[in-house]
Amino acid sequence: MLPASPQSAAPVIRFDQVSKRYPGGHDALSQISFELGAGEMAFVTGHSGAGKSTLLKLLGLLERPSRGAVMVGDVHLGTVRRRGIPRLRRQVGMVFQDHRLLMDRSVFANVELPLVVAGVPAAERGRRVRAALEKVGLLSHEKKSPPALSAGEQQRVGIARAIVGKPPLLIADEPTGNLDPQLAVEIMGLFAEFQQVGTTVLVATHDLFLIKRMRKRVIVLDHGRMVDDVAAAEVV
Amino acid sequence: MSRRRARRGDPVPAATLSVRGRIAAWRGQHAWSLHASLQRLAAHPIGTALTLTVMGLALALPLAFYLALGNLQRFGAALGESQAISVFLKPDLGAAGVAGLAADLRGRTDVAAVALRTPQQGLAELSAMQGFGPGLAMLADNPLPYVLVVTPRAGLDARAGQALVAALRALPAADRVQDNSAWRGRLDALLALGRRAVLLLGALLALAALLVVGNSVRQDIRAHAEEVAVLRLVGASSGFVRRPYLYAGICYGFGSGVVAVALVLLLELALAGPAAMLATAWGGGLRFAGVAPSLLLAVPFAAALLGWLGARIAGARHLAAAEPH
Repeated sequence: MLPASPQSAAPVIRFDQVSKRYPGGHDALSQISFELGAGEMAFVTGHSGAGKSTLLKLLGLLERPSRGAVMVGDVHLGTVRRRGIPRLRRQVGMVFQDHRLLMDRSVFANVELPLVVAGVPAAERGRRVRAALEKVGLLSHEKKSPPALSAGEQQRVGIARAIVGKPPLLIADEPTGNLDPQLAVEIMGLFAEFQQVGTTVLVATHDLFLIKRMRKRVIVLDHGRMVDDVAAAEVV
Repeated sequence: MSRRRARRGDPVPAATLSVRGRIAAWRGQHAWSLHASLQRLAAHPIGTALTLTVMGLALALPLAFYLALGNLQRFGAALGESQAISVFLKPDLGAAGVAGLAADLRGRTDVAAVALRTPQQGLAELSAMQGFGPGLAMLADNPLPYVLVVTPRAGLDARAGQALVAALRALPAADRVQDNSAWRGRLDALLALGRRAVLLLGALLALAALLVVGNSVRQDIRAHAEEVAVLRLVGASSGFVRRPYLYAGICYGFGSGVVAVALVLLLELALAGPAAMLATAWGGGLRFAGVAPSLLLAVPFAAALLGWLGARIAGARHLAAAEPH
């Protein structure tokens, strides 16, 4: 469904004149247009309420745009019917600020969830869950329950869950919002690693310090409008 | 199957899996759902037990009425076995006249048999009954009349039966005609009413059981709102999200069916003794019978179906998520 190869020329994300007005008249996004290629990593930034979260929600079909077209791979999201939403979401790994883990399940069970949902056989699930936990450095914690972990570790579990299905696209909404700077740097490093292996990564954050440190492309939103698009090389 | 799966946007990347792989994946998902739902039921043992008991009672009640009705019917049938009509003849009729009359009646097309009971036979019967012996011995004359016991032809409908009774009453030699079929008719009508009432009651209580399951599943869904949301975020189809609740409904239903059967069996056990005493007091021939084993066996499965339906309805209402259209 999505091009997995980093060499592919087709963009993984394409926004074309996208606007989102919430019921009640609030314009969250106005005429946003940009593309993100395969294997590219970018930040979306802006003050709170600038539209970062809304932009990410459109990619996971948590919301629909009021106007314009959002493409993920070769799929025009406007054509995805309700029944097709699960299939799309299995192609998009999502990480949240509050990580949204199931507190009454083990770390293993949490990471396993996307694979269960996708119908992956149990034996293969075990292998892939352990591989994902190893990537985020939590292999020894698989039997623990999330409340027994630190905030940074919980977020890593959330990331392991997002990547366990090997989605071509990974989106993260303020993934370091609850973490101290040291942990935040570590988490961002993880995202950069996934980019290295060809995953397209889009991270919403308002942490300018991190953005400068990471030297990736930056898309800047202000009151729902795209006011800047800084290439990685130009980030200082 | 595969078409259904594709239509629902269900899980399996179809192209990459063999048929066997797909079946394995399907089984794996169902095992996960069943495990999840059993875990939930076990996590709230008191709530689960309450639900099972309330549903079990609701299902046991119509079964209990059915049991009572069935036995009443058997009782009635045994008592009115031959719907024989007793014709007490006037005392002035001699033995020859009685025999002639009996022969006449045997000639009727609506009569199957006519038995003749002489006063001597009647007296002997009475003497055999406890307590009557000494009193009868004091009698100088036998006061009992000849009795003709007329058995109507089998399959006679109620109107023809009444016509026969009327004809017998019209006989000049008849002193009194005792028609056993009248109370039988009344009992039959009463039983028919009872059957209808049990049916309606059963339907109402099944509806109540449905609501109980629906409510339990609704609370279940509420308690797991976050889980439902997370499952959707990681790409679970609606079918997958709903499945643990359907399993929970089936478990509630089956469990409550077992409870209902257990209650009915206890009831039968408690009633068997007194019913046997009643039967003996009535002179034998009557036996208390329980609900048919096949029906008892079917109850948990029917209840499971009811539970599934209740969960399905509740799921449709409360899982219809905030997905964008």
